[in-house]
Amino acid sequence: MIRHKIRFLLFFLLIWGTSCQKDQDKSDFGLAYPDYFPEPYYKFGKNTLTKEGFELGRALFFDPILSIDSTISCASCHSQGHAFADHNTRMSFGIDGKMGDRNSPAMFNLAWQPIFMWDGGINHIEVMPFAPITNDVEMGETLENVIQKLKKHPKYVQRFQSVFGEKPIESQQLFYALTQYMTMLVSDDSKYDQYRQGKVSFTIDEEDGLQIFKAKCASCHTEPLFTDFSLRNNGLEIVSDDFGFGRITLNEEDNYKFKVPSLRNIALTYPYMHDGRFRTLEQVLDHYDKGMIYHPNLDKNLISNGKLGIPMSDVEKQKIITFLQTLTDYTFISNPIFSE
Amino acid sequence: MKFLNFLIILIAAIALTFTSCKKDDDHDDTDHFHEGNVTIAFDHVWGATEEAFSLNKELTHPMLNEKMTFNIFKYYVSNVRLKAKDGSWYAMPESYFIVDADPSGSNLVTIPNVPGGEYTDVEMTFGVDSTRNTSGAQSGVLDPAKGMFWSWNSGYIMLKAEGTAPTAANGTFTFHLGGFKGENKVQTSKSYNFGTTALVVDGDREAEIHMVANPARLWHGAEKLSVKSVNTMPNALAKSMSSNYYDAVRFDHIHN
Repeated sequence: MIRHKIRFLLFFLLIWGTSCQKDQDKSDFGLAYPDYFPEPYYKFGKNTLTKEGFELGRALFFDPILSIDSTISCASCHSQGHAFADHNTRMSFGIDGKMGDRNSPAMFNLAWQPIFMWDGGINHIEVMPFAPITNDVEMGETLENVIQKLKKHPKYVQRFQSVFGEKPIESQQLFYALTQYMTMLVSDDSKYDQYRQGKVSFTIDEEDGLQIFKAKCASCHTEPLFTDFSLRNNGLEIVSDDFGFGRITLNEEDNYKFKVPSLRNIALTYPYMHDGRFRTLEQVLDHYDKGMIYHPNLDKNLISNGKLGIPMSDVEKQKIITFLQTLTDYTFISNPIFSE
Repeated sequence: MKFLNFLIILIAAIALTFTSCKKDDDHDDTDHFHEGNVTIAFDHVWGATEEAFSLNKELTHPMLNEKMTFNIFKYYVSNVRLKAKDGSWYAMPESYFIVDADPSGSNLVTIPNVPGGEYTDVEMTFGVDSTRNTSGAQSGVLDPAKGMFWSWNSGYIMLKAEGTAPTAANGTFTFHLGGFKGENKVQTSKSYNFGTTALVVDGDREAEIHMVANPARLWHGAEKLSVKSVNTMPNALAKSMSSNYYDAVRFDHIHN
């Protein structure tokens, strides 16, 4: 009886031991982030994050095979040195030299992002790449054709199988792999982060800048991700019929609302706004201070006592910019595991 | 922690074993029937006269009085379940279909491995439930590569009707109807009673439900093609056109 019990116990321990081992193997590779970040919005679920899956996603991200004429890859308009925004161009060029109509956004901390695109039209990170792949002025390809091309590519067939098992390549696998790469793009080692972790101290101007920022900017650009992921009208002069969020909802009250971008790495990602109309951070702050145009949908945070905008002195603006420079993450933009 | 997990799984497994035993007891009365497949056939007809509908055939819309030739007509049907005589429901897992008027697709919805027995009702959702519209990359019938998903405004195109019409602006019409939330949500659950004859599922015995659907109904209430020939996003028109179509789908007969 006792022997029986011991055997049973050993059996349990064996199972226990095996599962611990497995966890340890997995923990070598995963989504890591500081403790002051919230829980990621994206849950991997069926999309099991692995090193091989991430590397497959990385290969696809840099491969122009996703475009109809093999000229444009995701990386063409999302460059690591610019925190995965475009190379400081207002609009981006797609196939046949066609020009897009919005500024390519930076890409990082996407596992925390609930909606995608400047107009918030995409509701899930996994289906985000579907838009640029099939957009006429971006990659101009069909999903069906991308899958056919990947199926004919022996290297990809082998890599998809090693990540997803012995089954034909489907768009879900393409999206899963790209999602693994995109969600791993975590930017959390800026000077601001090192300051939060007590590793460095801020200069007096940086510290002042942070305090002014908290008072004047943080209601939308909320720490620590520096966005609250909302869609807002920030009083830009209307220069096109790009309705932003209104294009998605067809609700007039959503017209000219755009997604609040994160301000991490902001010094690297000029020009600014959905259409790249401002070249410098000074121009952006001048807009918030005194450049705003009234619109019925203008965000309520941007009106106080009947006056538009966020009043700021020149000194305050300079200090805010000094603080914003601390959000540049040099570790992120030079991390070789994100590179081709 | 891991030990606890194991215990929980063990307990769950034991619990499951008991539950399934109980389930078997419940179905004692259907024991003499064997598991089989049920097919739902969508027979497409045109207008009040119910002439045969097919792609690449010139049809005249009786209300619009305009000629039109479809080259695409397909739509999602999902979450199919069958009501047994005892009132219990059999819900097909992962139940998503594209009903396609093109012979390269299929106008049949096949529900495999339905428990043997007699059934009195079928319920289905026209369109795709909201969960699958917001759950990221899907596979199989829900694969966006099927061309039934909007890339720029996430959500399924629940019904696609395209073709040519001499009165339309560019000589063509394009209706992509969808939208899964808010007042213009398109997906609709419908339930149909078979009347006096029950559907018998018993092994290889044929069990076929025939539904009649009428694409002309899309324009009951919509403007002439000469006025409006394109609608490719979720909105009030998508809602009204698809409702008019779905509401007119009717149960016709069963083959046992």
